[in-house]
Amino acid sequence: MEVYYYLILSAVLLSIGIYGIVSKRNVIRMLLSAEVIFNAALLSLLSLASLDSGYGPVGGALAVIAISLSAAEVGVIVSLAILMFRMRGTLDTYELRRFRG
Amino acid sequence: MSLPDPDVLIFLASAVLALVSSALVILHRSIVYSAFFLSIVGIANAILFSLLGFPIIALFHLIVYVGAAVTFILFSLVMMREVPTVEPGLKVVTFSAFILTVLVLSRIFLSVGAQPSFYLEYKGLTSILIEKYWFALIVASLALATTLIEAITLARREV
Repeated sequence: MEVYYYLILSAVLLSIGIYGIVSKRNVIRMLLSAEVIFNAALLSLLSLASLDSGYGPVGGALAVIAISLSAAEVGVIVSLAILMFRMRGTLDTYELRRFRG
Repeated sequence: MSLPDPDVLIFLASAVLALVSSALVILHRSIVYSAFFLSIVGIANAILFSLLGFPIIALFHLIVYVGAAVTFILFSLVMMREVPTVEPGLKVVTFSAFILTVLVLSRIFLSVGAQPSFYLEYKGLTSILIEKYWFALIVASLALATTLIEAITLARREV
């Protein structure tokens, strides 16, 4: 199977994720869109790493670290969203302008 | 007339599933269902990683990403009073997710015996992680520990 097709798939997933981030105002919905972009990036990383067996372990190591950091990032953003919901009662990003001081 | 390559069929099925699920992540009106569809995107991606010759990464993606990160989002939504509503198609979606999980696990286990063009070995991955990327590994571990502390703090509901 050509790596070319995997890269096209990751490009389409990236486009869907960017559309979600741009068009939505809900924090959780934007986080989910960012996760779609993360999946696309991971797919392209591993597709390119599989081209050469010398880069394969390096790509794998980077993917393991990226997945771990992504799990941590999800925790941070969800915590912020819960805090925002408790303080303002909404998840609208436009309300974030009022978080001062 | 010869049968098509099973890898091509699995790639096509996974690609269509990833595309449809990611579109539903953006477009579905319920956030709970969007998070559920994100887990299906993760499962489809794990199948693709396995096809590329990275079965260990596929298992890691299933365990850490789908099993922890997406589940964390789902449970957190309950704390925001977003109660999941049961829709008629839920059983079909659940059954398809079950079939997908069986598919990805069987693909991973079968690829061990096959001879793909590229195959990432467990020994090579661990040695490169410990020898070259030890600092990044420590940072990732600290970040995950931070997430654990956040989850405990949120569970206390005294913030």
